[in-house]
Amino acid sequence: MDARVIGASPITTEILRNAFASIAEDMNAALIRSAYSPLIYEGKDCAVALLDQDGEVLGQSLGVPLFLGNLSLCVQATAQMHGWDYFQEGDVVFLNDSYIAGTHLNDVTVIQPIFWRGQRVGFATSRAHWLDVGGKDTSLSIDSTEIYQEGMRWAPTKVYAGGEPRTEILDFLRRNSRFGATLIGDLHAQIAAGQTGEQRLRALLDRFGYDTVQAAKRDIFAQSERLEREAVAAIPNGRYTAEGCLDNDGAGVEPVPVKLSVLIDGDTISLDLEGSAAQTRGSVNCGFTQTISAARLAFKLLINPGRPVDGGTFHTLKVAAPPNSIFNAQEPAACAWYFSSLGLLIDLFLKAMAPALPDQVAAAHYGDSMVISFNGFDDRTNERFLVVEATTGGWGAWSSGDGQDSLINEVNGSFRDLPVEIFEHKYPARILKYGIRADSGGAGQYRGGNGTVRQYQLTNDANISLWFERSTTPAWGLSGGEAGQGPEVAIQPPDGREERLLKVNAKPLKAGTIITVATGGGGGYGPPSRRDPEAVRRDLLDRFVSPAIAKATYGVEVT
Amino acid sequence: MTKYRVSADIGGTFTDFVFEDETGATRIGKVPTTPQNPSRGVLDGLAAGPSSLGEIDFFVHGTTVGLNAFLERRGARTLLLMTAGISDSYTIARGHRTHLYQLQYRKPAQLVPRRDVYEIRERLAWDGSVIEPLNEADLQTVIEVVRAQGIPAIAICFLHAFTNQSHEQRAKAVLGEALPGVSISLSSDIAREWREYERASSVVMDAYVAPVVELYLKTLRSELSSAGMDKTIHVMRSSGGVMTDRIARDQPISTLLSGPVGGAIGCVQLAKDTGRQNLLGVDMGGTSFDLTLVVDGEPQLSTETALEGLPLLMSVVDIPTIGTGGGSIAWIEAGGLRVGPKSAGSQPGPACYGRGGTEPTVTDANLFLGRLATNSLLGGRMSLDATATAVAIAKLAGPLGMSNLELAEGILAISNAKMADAMRTITVEKGIDPRSFTLVAYGGAGPMNAAELAFELDIREILIPRFPGTFSAWGMLRSDIRSDFSVSFFTMADQVDPQAMLATCEALQAQGRELLEQEHVPADQMTFALSADLRYVGQEYTLSIPFGRASAIADILKAFHIAHERRFGHAQSQNPVEFVNLRLAAIGRLARARQGFAFTPQARSPQIGERDIVFVSQAMRAKVYNRALFTDQTRYLGPAVIEEESATTFVPPGYTFQLDDWGNILIQKEA
Repeated sequence: MDARVIGASPITTEILRNAFASIAEDMNAALIRSAYSPLIYEGKDCAVALLDQDGEVLGQSLGVPLFLGNLSLCVQATAQMHGWDYFQEGDVVFLNDSYIAGTHLNDVTVIQPIFWRGQRVGFATSRAHWLDVGGKDTSLSIDSTEIYQEGMRWAPTKVYAGGEPRTEILDFLRRNSRFGATLIGDLHAQIAAGQTGEQRLRALLDRFGYDTVQAAKRDIFAQSERLEREAVAAIPNGRYTAEGCLDNDGAGVEPVPVKLSVLIDGDTISLDLEGSAAQTRGSVNCGFTQTISAARLAFKLLINPGRPVDGGTFHTLKVAAPPNSIFNAQEPAACAWYFSSLGLLIDLFLKAMAPALPDQVAAAHYGDSMVISFNGFDDRTNERFLVVEATTGGWGAWSSGDGQDSLINEVNGSFRDLPVEIFEHKYPARILKYGIRADSGGAGQYRGGNGTVRQYQLTNDANISLWFERSTTPAWGLSGGEAGQGPEVAIQPPDGREERLLKVNAKPLKAGTIITVATGGGGGYGPPSRRDPEAVRRDLLDRFVSPAIAKATYGVEVT
Repeated sequence: MTKYRVSADIGGTFTDFVFEDETGATRIGKVPTTPQNPSRGVLDGLAAGPSSLGEIDFFVHGTTVGLNAFLERRGARTLLLMTAGISDSYTIARGHRTHLYQLQYRKPAQLVPRRDVYEIRERLAWDGSVIEPLNEADLQTVIEVVRAQGIPAIAICFLHAFTNQSHEQRAKAVLGEALPGVSISLSSDIAREWREYERASSVVMDAYVAPVVELYLKTLRSELSSAGMDKTIHVMRSSGGVMTDRIARDQPISTLLSGPVGGAIGCVQLAKDTGRQNLLGVDMGGTSFDLTLVVDGEPQLSTETALEGLPLLMSVVDIPTIGTGGGSIAWIEAGGLRVGPKSAGSQPGPACYGRGGTEPTVTDANLFLGRLATNSLLGGRMSLDATATAVAIAKLAGPLGMSNLELAEGILAISNAKMADAMRTITVEKGIDPRSFTLVAYGGAGPMNAAELAFELDIREILIPRFPGTFSAWGMLRSDIRSDFSVSFFTMADQVDPQAMLATCEALQAQGRELLEQEHVPADQMTFALSADLRYVGQEYTLSIPFGRASAIADILKAFHIAHERRFGHAQSQNPVEFVNLRLAAIGRLARARQGFAFTPQARSPQIGERDIVFVSQAMRAKVYNRALFTDQTRYLGPAVIEEESATTFVPPGYTFQLDDWGNILIQKEA
């Protein structure tokens, strides 16, 4: 049986197609299994990909959708800087420069070239969120204005060369992080993931041979590309546009406009971000690489969402963003909160495409991660604490269904909220309320999902930071559906006046202060007058809609 | 009078039986499951067995009654009572998405709609102290609703009840007195662990299936006793132990996953018998493919699982389901061949079932290649339609430009490689190298595909247990009485008070002893296994570390670092560690015979014929053997097909096989 030969090509191709996906799963399992930081092994803030010798995706696995296709771009960018021969057997290359890799400096990409019989046959790559890479604040600053405030910045750098560690580099990394030991641990977890990929790709080559693997790969890419071209060709030709804005950039008060134009021409689709804001002082900027990834995610939400990504996908997609804009930022633009702009870009793509693909899209969701963080000293333990919470919200309705209530935002991936019991055990604050914000979803034939209310009471003095977005353009409806409500945050000190604000960096507050955060609802779909009265009655019974709104908006009275 | 130990595994289609007498001699049985009243099927099967009902000394069964009530949403309407202010944590379900590219995503449907979630004013602090006392007026509102609407079940989950049960217990007392006959479940009885959503989800599941499970157990008991079986009825637990029906009525949730667990316990017994401590068990049926790991002779237990996206905090043998097995359909996409994930299931089933299926499946490919004969299933009582298979295969082979033979082989090659991929990923997650494991294959289709799975995983040794088609039922007879207890013990490791810890362990042990006494386990057959859930500060998930009552904290920590290194590839011995829960498994050993396989002389040769098969694109003659006719431990060479009533084993060329001392078929790759 050792000498077994698998017969015809469609079979080998399919076995290899499944095997590439499985190798990526194994790499991901190896990374999560050996990571030091809970952000990776619990938050799954990571991605892995097995690439071919040209940096094209063979298989990938990710916890954060926004990293889609990005690892491939990082390898190709590195090759562009130094040539493909830069990659030698036994090398481990890492980078985090926002203007090359696209995201904030905490996301670190690791690249390991794979050699087989002296020949470069592929790359094992991964990206993980490192807990701390230096920078002026622990965790992300709300108010950074230059990338130098956000941490160490690395262009592609060999941390292992020819199998040998470069100890000076490792030492530098360790010394420049508030959690140096964890950083080194996470780096090695990424390297372990790469080795898993390397071993398995070599085993496939031993079994099937180089030529067979190359031929199968070409078939796999061709199949994916064909399915994608068919799907894009089915969209009516034309130019589709949408625009919106972020409330502000975190450092100023002016809205940040985003403008998107989509051109469908036969089996190709082009996104152009001309007219979007110039790069801002605040940190809502990203490198162009990450804009491409976000465009791919937006595309994937509508085009064959159930199919895996490989080197045959995204050939029909072109992306353009003007230099020095928030989507193509240059040094020294700050990039910590880059994902707020990209979340908006994705929502706008869906809005633009709604006339062409009314049954695939959904109305806008509440839009951003809606982050509140607390830090200070816990009197119970006399130790420093830091907790960063993203908050769920309402999702948009679609042509045959209501949006979901209290669900994490699109770009956030495998998030789970922190249980009240764990929160109260670990941090000196109580959660008085955690609930669904009735009536916050946009009305419609199908209603938008409701947002979330979470109310905290400090039992210690603490500093809080807030990043709540999308109050200027709350989740819009589609086809006559109404917009959802926007976010609101109220701070009630024990002995003073209530204050309302959405973004703030490290604001000191006294014990006893009550902070109420409310996230927005999703947009509705179709005119409210067409909503089935039975559905309204169900919502009344479940208290998703109040009697007043049921009557005023839908004309349904409580019986 | 001969005394029998009998087990029944009530599956979706068939109920499997194993009868074992005092000498260890074993017989099997299989009858159709009677879903309306599963006890009918049990009685039918017992009646057809070798024993009279009066001769049954011990009876254990695995039931899917609770699971089916859940899957078909036929459970009881349940009210959920939660702490005022945070009751939506149940409906929010942690705000988690399981699909990353799905705009039109829907959360898993909860068993209790929001309208049936009631807020009760009461509040405990994180340390269990009372901030707001239980408001009994709020309970009166609930009492009126339950009476007015005739609601049969109530689930209660109060915040921090895992630290202080008093509010939950008081609420149960008040409601229980006012509402006789209503089933009331407490989250702190199901799991004394933190995370209010997971606890609420678990207690709701318990309440939801309680009335259905109770009715079933009552019916089974009365029907068995009127037929003359008056011995205690035992039920398999999801954790791999058994319990009496009385305990099962109190803890219906623990019966939920009792079906496949027998196979895992059977694998543990094989590890003991054969001295092979590391086993990969594959249970492959028509529509499912379950994986069981035995590492160092121990089954793999989890303290948490999920059903259709709903989390359950309970002790459960970890049995991941991967792929879809024999029913997986082959199809064409963009000119490429795919196998699965769509399955023909049992209705219409593979084309060869002749029930209207027209698409080729893995089972069809096995039939086409001669690995399966038309009379191989159910001892020939089910006949397969080879013509339907040929038509289905030809339909796909043409467009792909392949011969029928190539396609049939391709379907098997793809499906085996895919299953092996999934198995490998599970072992990587657990930090295990499958190459050092022995593969154990059972279920109707396991023995047929075992050799090729082993090849894909680079495994050199395969065990096919006796009666592979009823192996899960056999495993149930190998189990002990077992009950698990846990209590939250949230303390930094360097601040543990050994006296307080000992007192907590003793309280757990007293609980365990009381339960075993209720199960009539004699004191000298009781054992108690303690473990502690530990983690590095900052982690959410824990590792369970076994320890003895006399263990020093330092030793427990050392064991934790070692376990962490093994499971995650690194340990951080400088980092602070915290205790989260203490656990106790109370085990009551059940006496049973276990002796080697009795080789008895047979009048006939084990070889009953030859058959044309295709392997690696080559037609060849395989010898066909009848497993019941092997009289000794002679070694045979593949290619061979070994037939028996509940399964067919395929041994490829390049492999040898022989019976071991226990009657298992041991297949080994030739050196």
